[in-house]
Amino acid sequence: MRTAAQGEARGRAWRLWIASGPGLFWIVLFLLIPSGVMLGIAFFTNSDFGSPVLPLSLDSFSQVAGYGILGWSGANFTVLLRSLLQAGVATTVTILLAYPLVFFIVTRPANLRPVLLLFAIVPSWTNQVVRTYAWMQLLNPFAPVSRVAQTLGIIPPHLGLMPGDFAVLVGLSYNYLPYMVVPLYAAAEKLDWTLVEAGRDLYASGVRLFFSTVFPQTLPGLLSGIILVGIPAFGDYVVPQLLGGDKAMMLGSLIASQFTFSPDWPYGAALTLIMLVFTCIGLIVFRRLTQRLGGGEGAML
Amino acid sequence: MNAVPRRIRRVLMGISLPVYLLLYAPLSVIAIFSFAPSLGHPGVNVAAYVLLLHDPEVLAALRRSLTLALGSALLGTMLGTLMGFGLSRFRPARGGGFWVGTLPSLIIYLPIIMPSLVFGISELIFFNFVHEWTGLLSAGLLTMGIAHVTFQAPYVALVVYARLAGLDPNLFEASQDLYANAFKSFVFLTIPVVRPALIGGFLLAITLSIDDFTISFFTAGPGSVTLPIYIYSAIARKGASPEINALGSLMIATVIGVALLYYFVTRHRERGNRIPAVA
Repeated sequence: MRTAAQGEARGRAWRLWIASGPGLFWIVLFLLIPSGVMLGIAFFTNSDFGSPVLPLSLDSFSQVAGYGILGWSGANFTVLLRSLLQAGVATTVTILLAYPLVFFIVTRPANLRPVLLLFAIVPSWTNQVVRTYAWMQLLNPFAPVSRVAQTLGIIPPHLGLMPGDFAVLVGLSYNYLPYMVVPLYAAAEKLDWTLVEAGRDLYASGVRLFFSTVFPQTLPGLLSGIILVGIPAFGDYVVPQLLGGDKAMMLGSLIASQFTFSPDWPYGAALTLIMLVFTCIGLIVFRRLTQRLGGGEGAML
Repeated sequence: MNAVPRRIRRVLMGISLPVYLLLYAPLSVIAIFSFAPSLGHPGVNVAAYVLLLHDPEVLAALRRSLTLALGSALLGTMLGTLMGFGLSRFRPARGGGFWVGTLPSLIIYLPIIMPSLVFGISELIFFNFVHEWTGLLSAGLLTMGIAHVTFQAPYVALVVYARLAGLDPNLFEASQDLYANAFKSFVFLTIPVVRPALIGGFLLAITLSIDDFTISFFTAGPGSVTLPIYIYSAIARKGASPEINALGSLMIATVIGVALLYYFVTRHRERGNRIPAVA
């Protein structure tokens, strides 16, 4: 016999699916299933036209590992390493810029803070192509910035700061800076300043004071920021495509070209699988760390 | 914040002001270059804007972008609101097991977490297969719209959920005591309460749609060139030009306008302590 409580719970679950069902179904049908199909394709053979055909095989994965008609090449590893490195350095740059910015904002009067924060975020609301296009114009060989670099001998004359790894790094850091600012601000705003006072009373100062009182309190925000910046920067397509050129290729461009110019779907799907594996590793590490810190995911569903 | 000495505050300001400058420099460059002299138009001029407004290709792209943004935002807001409402109202506060507790959150976060390149290419393949087998859904505005709804709905759900989570559950009990059924209490209690979140979510959905390039790029067909795709291919074709800068300036101005509107609409309840979303 069912108790009233069980019946009540069932009724609630039933209503949950009526209200949330259509949206959840939409996401499953138009994203979960497509991404499953995409990953499945990685295990098919490539046809002459680049589409997947039977028999099932692991050829695409040996292609990913660098084995081709011309023997082994390390090009894919270079691209993967470059993507990881660019994402890592860009994340570090955003951390170094976001900390002073966030603490500048939280030390302003309370009525100014939302506006200052808004000003830091609004650029991220504009289209990524437009933003990246702006950097193309700022870093090209004839732009003042490149002229200065040429005169100082940092880059050879007649070359710009773009295309190349440096331009990609600038573009990524610029694009994702607000994603670091927002979670850090959320953490810094709730900061318990009495701890800082206590630290000062104990004669801690400077770096030591920061790392023993302020830093631990902002750590959950910092971790969210690292995820919000690192993952999209790692998989970014627009920035390396427009600012990178051939020598600064990242995983995103490599994947995309398997579906556009020189189709090889199974190979592209296998590369995507690699990208998702790294994304998942990042997320799992992040979850473990936050759990160890005792939550910190306040706004999560 | 007396805890921060004046000297450190000065350092913070010394670093932050250049960062603000850096944030706006690229946007200003676009605006400045849009007035740059061009062939036959020496000096500062608005020739690029005039040219733009008479370019049928640009106007068509604009029309498609607006259709896409409004259409997808309407459906995305509807689905997202229902999702956020259902999860905040009918899900047990703790636990609920995998099917009721964890799975819905996982599904909702999937579009947010997934790299947009993987998102876009998955949809490209999926729509390609669907079209091959059924003849439906050939790549175009419709497929783009479906993809846009998929990433808009979760964001709207989060906004609505955040609004409802701060609400006293007794309100719903009270409406039941007054003989409102589930439907009536949704229409007369939930909708008015979440209205700011609804408007905010709708504007957010529009911004997300206009901002997106990667997912649109891979789900678009030959006849569905929207503004971001037009700009991208124009850059790839002929590099920098005053017209593209003019178009970029107009888009920046529009987005900043919508963003400020969104901010002021959602701000007026929870003054002070809310943090705008990044998109």
